[in-house]
Amino acid sequence: MTLPSITPLRPAVASARKPQIAFDRVSLDLGGKTILDTVNLDVAPGEFLCIIGASGCGKTTALRLAAGLYQPTSGRVTFDGVAMTAPRRDIAIVFQDYGKALLPWRTAIGNVSLALETAGVPKPQRADRIEELLVKVGLPFHGDKYPAEMSGGMQQRLQIARCLAQEPKVLLMDEPFGALDAMTRQSLQDEVLELVRASGVTVIFVTHDLEEAIYLGDRVIGLLPHPGRVGIQCAIDLARPRDQLTTREQPQFLALRRQLFDFIKASEA
Amino acid sequence: MRRPDILWRLGSFAVAAALVGLWQLTADLKLVSPVFLPGPDKAWTALIRGFSSGDLMAKLLGTLAHMLYGWLCASFVGIALGAAIGASKTMRDYVAPSLEWLRPLPVSAIIPIAIALFGLTQGMALFVIAFGAMWPMLLATIHGFAVVEPRLYEVARTLHMSRLAVIVKIALPSASPDILAGMRLSLTVALILSVVCEILAGLDGLGHWVLLSARAFRSADLFAGVILLGIVGYVTATAMAFAERRLLRWRGVGH
Repeated sequence: MTLPSITPLRPAVASARKPQIAFDRVSLDLGGKTILDTVNLDVAPGEFLCIIGASGCGKTTALRLAAGLYQPTSGRVTFDGVAMTAPRRDIAIVFQDYGKALLPWRTAIGNVSLALETAGVPKPQRADRIEELLVKVGLPFHGDKYPAEMSGGMQQRLQIARCLAQEPKVLLMDEPFGALDAMTRQSLQDEVLELVRASGVTVIFVTHDLEEAIYLGDRVIGLLPHPGRVGIQCAIDLARPRDQLTTREQPQFLALRRQLFDFIKASEA
Repeated sequence: MRRPDILWRLGSFAVAAALVGLWQLTADLKLVSPVFLPGPDKAWTALIRGFSSGDLMAKLLGTLAHMLYGWLCASFVGIALGAAIGASKTMRDYVAPSLEWLRPLPVSAIIPIAIALFGLTQGMALFVIAFGAMWPMLLATIHGFAVVEPRLYEVARTLHMSRLAVIVKIALPSASPDILAGMRLSLTVALILSVVCEILAGLDGLGHWVLLSARAFRSADLFAGVILLGIVGYVTATAMAFAERRLLRWRGVGH
């Protein structure tokens, strides 16, 4: 008799526990158009789920449903078994357009502080907490800068810091690195992986970059457009920690890339 | 200051000096009767005399008080009302058209009503100035609230910010460039209306001084008053522009 194969830790956790976020036959109509059609999706605590798909397939919409910013037309989205009726403080969203999601009149410190103020953290405790978060996202010594004084990568780091200040159980990321140059994107990918590893937070990560999805995720879901529905699911068993060079050179990585590429191509046809 | 800046500044002073010189020349050559047009020298003497007797100082303070109290009232009411209207889309849709109808109404048309209501009193002046100076702030606040980046409201929702916190921490700062521009415009309106009210109601101030000087054919005193009003307008506008730059530093930085 052979021993059961040792599955990597995170997917094992994923299948063993109850889902943290669950889409139960979720459909959403907006403006008379069906954006998502009967989507079933379970996200386990601590899982890193990536959602890919051609543009207009409803991946951002799915993320906004998970955030509680939209309510489904039918079906339900639950968090720890409780229906989501509004956004929750323990679910943080990193928006793609960091320039619009930050307060331009507040410095980096002020922007992180917004989350702490709203959570009712007393003033004396904020400064240390903010400093710690800015260091965590690689922005020490930039606390007094306004967003307009920062590069795109720095602004996105700042937005992540504000999201972490919410002490989220779930981090929703909507093409967070889409607007950044390749080098910045790669270093932010690694930083996010490290943050997630250290905090054990659940992540749903929307991207149109297939390699990014494979590189980051425990699982990749591909959506089909018009209306949006789940078209493909791949578990990603690549070893962690992942490496920008060696991970991307592995045959398994390349095979997944081919598989997802074909999926997207077919979905657009 | 950079070199070109200094040159610009020197140039603008030269133009001002040339204008004063032209004025002096016109007066000296008696191109206009001295009863109506005193030279800058005479106006200056009248200005000094007025201040040394203390009369002009009292009038200046009177005008400043009218202007600033009216303006502060207008700012407070304009911003508060603008926030109340601007914070809700429904309110904006219902109320904004009425405001558009009221706004172009010349404030001078309000003065008889205000006199009927309050008499020839300081209260009347305060009402008229505040009413007239409120519009730029009110409309700027409503507009500023209407164009707040929707993404920021979503951030507020995910953070569970209270309605008040959203207004104070997001909508007002976001609208602040519009509001401050409105406040700068209102400052001029407040000065104009202060003078008008002083003239109409005989309230202590430069408007009254100018009127009395004109009636008594003391043209030098009249010009002293006018010069002083110009200085008040210039100084308050400069102070406001300075405050604006300080408060909106976040816009000027970076790329």
